[in-house]
Amino acid sequence: MHRLSLLVTLAGCVLLVGPSTGAYGRIKLITLPVRERVEVQLDHPNITLVEEERIVPLVKGVNQVDFSWANTRIDPNTIVFRVIGPGGDRNEDAPEINVLSVSYPPNENALVWQVASSKPGSARVRISYVLGNLTKSFNYRAVAANDEATLVLSQYMRLQNLANEEFGSSDIWAGFGPRFHKPIGINETKEMLVEKFRQVPITKTYTCNPAEFDYLDRPKNKLRVPMHYVIKNDKANGLGAAPLPFGKVRIFQDDGRGTTAFLGEDWGKFTPIDDEMKLYLGVAQDIVVKRTIEKNERHRVAGNLYDYEIIIKYEIENFKNKPVILDVAEDLRYVRNEVRRDTGRDVEWELGKQTTLGDPDKEDTTQQRVVFHVNLPAASRGKNGKAQKIVHKLHVIIRNEW
Amino acid sequence: MKRIFPILLIATALAAPADAKNVDLSTVPSRDTVQLTIYNSEDLTLVRETRVVSFKKGVNPLQFSWANTLIDPTSVELRFLKLADQLDVLDTTFLHDKPQMLYWNVQSEIDGEATVEITYFTSGITWSADYVCIADPQETEMGFEGFVRVYNHSGEDYENAQVRLVVGTINLVEKIAQLARISMRDVDRLEKGRRGELRQRAAREMMAKSGVMVADMAVAEAPKQIIKEGLSEYFIYTIEGTETIPHGWSKRLRSFEGTTVPFKIQYRYRVRQYGDQLVRMYLLTNDETSNLGTTPLPNGMVRVFRDNGRDGLSFLAAQQIKYIPIGDKIEINLGPDPQVVFELVKLRAFRDQIWMKLHGANVYRQVDDGRIRIDPRSTVAGWDDHELYNQRIRNYSPKPIDVQVRRIFPGHVVFRSELNPKLHDYQTVQYSTNVKAGQKADLLYEVVRHQGRNAKQNNVTLEQARPAR
Repeated sequence: MHRLSLLVTLAGCVLLVGPSTGAYGRIKLITLPVRERVEVQLDHPNITLVEEERIVPLVKGVNQVDFSWANTRIDPNTIVFRVIGPGGDRNEDAPEINVLSVSYPPNENALVWQVASSKPGSARVRISYVLGNLTKSFNYRAVAANDEATLVLSQYMRLQNLANEEFGSSDIWAGFGPRFHKPIGINETKEMLVEKFRQVPITKTYTCNPAEFDYLDRPKNKLRVPMHYVIKNDKANGLGAAPLPFGKVRIFQDDGRGTTAFLGEDWGKFTPIDDEMKLYLGVAQDIVVKRTIEKNERHRVAGNLYDYEIIIKYEIENFKNKPVILDVAEDLRYVRNEVRRDTGRDVEWELGKQTTLGDPDKEDTTQQRVVFHVNLPAASRGKNGKAQKIVHKLHVIIRNEW
Repeated sequence: MKRIFPILLIATALAAPADAKNVDLSTVPSRDTVQLTIYNSEDLTLVRETRVVSFKKGVNPLQFSWANTLIDPTSVELRFLKLADQLDVLDTTFLHDKPQMLYWNVQSEIDGEATVEITYFTSGITWSADYVCIADPQETEMGFEGFVRVYNHSGEDYENAQVRLVVGTINLVEKIAQLARISMRDVDRLEKGRRGELRQRAAREMMAKSGVMVADMAVAEAPKQIIKEGLSEYFIYTIEGTETIPHGWSKRLRSFEGTTVPFKIQYRYRVRQYGDQLVRMYLLTNDETSNLGTTPLPNGMVRVFRDNGRDGLSFLAAQQIKYIPIGDKIEINLGPDPQVVFELVKLRAFRDQIWMKLHGANVYRQVDDGRIRIDPRSTVAGWDDHELYNQRIRNYSPKPIDVQVRRIFPGHVVFRSELNPKLHDYQTVQYSTNVKAGQKADLLYEVVRHQGRNAKQNNVTLEQARPAR
């Protein structure tokens, strides 16, 4: 249903005829130029710009071009009227056209352009406007290979038309990726495949960080160990052409029998180029990490000024039959809060010699957070039938506290 | 709908309009010209209309009424443009039982026609400015169009009116003071009536100073010119020809156009102005070099598009701008750019210069000199916090970018870096960089905050040195 209309009032231009009743009759003879082309520009994060082209017949002199809409949320202040060429093929026949003014009638969703033409003819005009309730969102389908080394990432754009206006065959552009050419019906939701990235390398991570993920079993000091697929949005990984927009990711895995198993879903955050999108898969059941504070000693420096020496012990068991890398992360402010109160000041810390976790990750470690990567061998059952337990220690000295 | 009528009452010698008369005969002189001077900073429009009225010798009662309009009755004035020396207004009467109406008794020495001018203030007619910018695909030049839109909600239709728009923030009290040649202190002491009278005089004076009416055009083949003239602290836009704006309608006309206006792009981080984000700015100047500068830019909404190179547009931003004088900068905030990543990472924190205060004595000793044994009965009284930051900027756009960062550091602070920073003010540090396309920049700096008794000032000192790692 067309709720937008463009009318051209022909010679005579009987407009604004004011009867004495106070309501203005607008008596006119009109032509109805149809839409020749529609483009839906979705490159702005929050705003949809619709552009429609029409060929408008014009008489010599001043023409009234009436644009009106009903039950649709056009922002009238954003409407731009541009003459982009002659209506026909011959440039030499093109009239010279000037937009003189725009009038806005009372209590109507309409406006009237006064357009002067140097001679009879037609013009190709483009009318652009911001339209509400024609919105886009993104979602993804990620299918991991059976070995979880790569995945196929399909990116979809979902266009929802609640604008109460239908658009015939329209050019649709998200600001990146291909341009679509599709009709958009009223109340229609259209999902379009923007990109399909194949063989995208993934890293499956296991992370423990009590400040961020808490304990799985606090009395037993067992940490929660969430699993993530990490996709790096860069060219080396077959991505990196554009930021990945925010959207829901449904995650599947090839089950090795020609079908896929649904692993879950997560919100993929907006991911700039070279950044990582982390997709939460759930809590690992086969990686057990027990965390205890083995040492907490206070050393007076002077008066009420102290250094704190803390050793955190991790007892790690990998019950999986393949090796994995465990990311051990600690928030130093969280650690300080465990052994004393939060002073509000930054934590001045350094690693002690008894740390067994290796060197921290330089990229991920900041003033407040330290991250280690720990290799866990595959479970090799011991004599008593238990998985091998690996013990690591984090030795931290927190300085100048009072 | 016309609701404003001057009526010449005939066949009576109505020196006193309140006389009870049940049978009247009257003529209704039509409006010949009308001029609207519209202020955008106040809901105030000065209307000046002329009509031709036939007078007979003696006293001529003239009725003026304005039912259902928003005219200020105390502002209505009548004067004679022709034969003024033979016509006099004897009195003006506002009847108690007939609101929105007044009577003038005009003493005429002639039998014949005279042109009268009626002026009054009305509210309900307003105007606003807005701007449309369309940047070229390369983002080096833009088309910059300014528009004015006149709204008529006054209750009266004004046909073929000359329209003049007053640009600028009008402080009528100032104008009153100027006209009355009294001090601002005395303005507040004026009675309301006197202030109103002076306000009218101020507006009339302004109106009288600017030119004659422009003749209407039979057919306007080109957009109407809007003549811009400076007047004292104001700018007056006079729309060429006349306009008809019925009650309830509004009309928008182009006031100027700059077709190839050069501009620059800068990325800025200024929390107070743009929030906690790096934003992309279009920077241009309202001057002749930039093909603008014909007029100050009144307050209004700027809508920015970019030509996508295929006849289409991309919507970039809509932003309200404040009055921009000729020669001043126009800064348009396009918001964050997803192709530029702006991150601040705190790499390290440590403390030094720790001073202890001994209990019971006004004695301070420094902790880290290594020679003095500090009394256990002492507390920390002063220290320096060191914070090391990496301001990382990643540019994934296809062009190099200029980035300017302003950060505010309250307290007594030393800003140590090799970034050649400047002090924007006593507590705001500004540093800039250029990041090539596809590259990243790591801007390292150290902030030393003097705390407790170490804080002697409330300002930032810049130190050109390598930050501590």
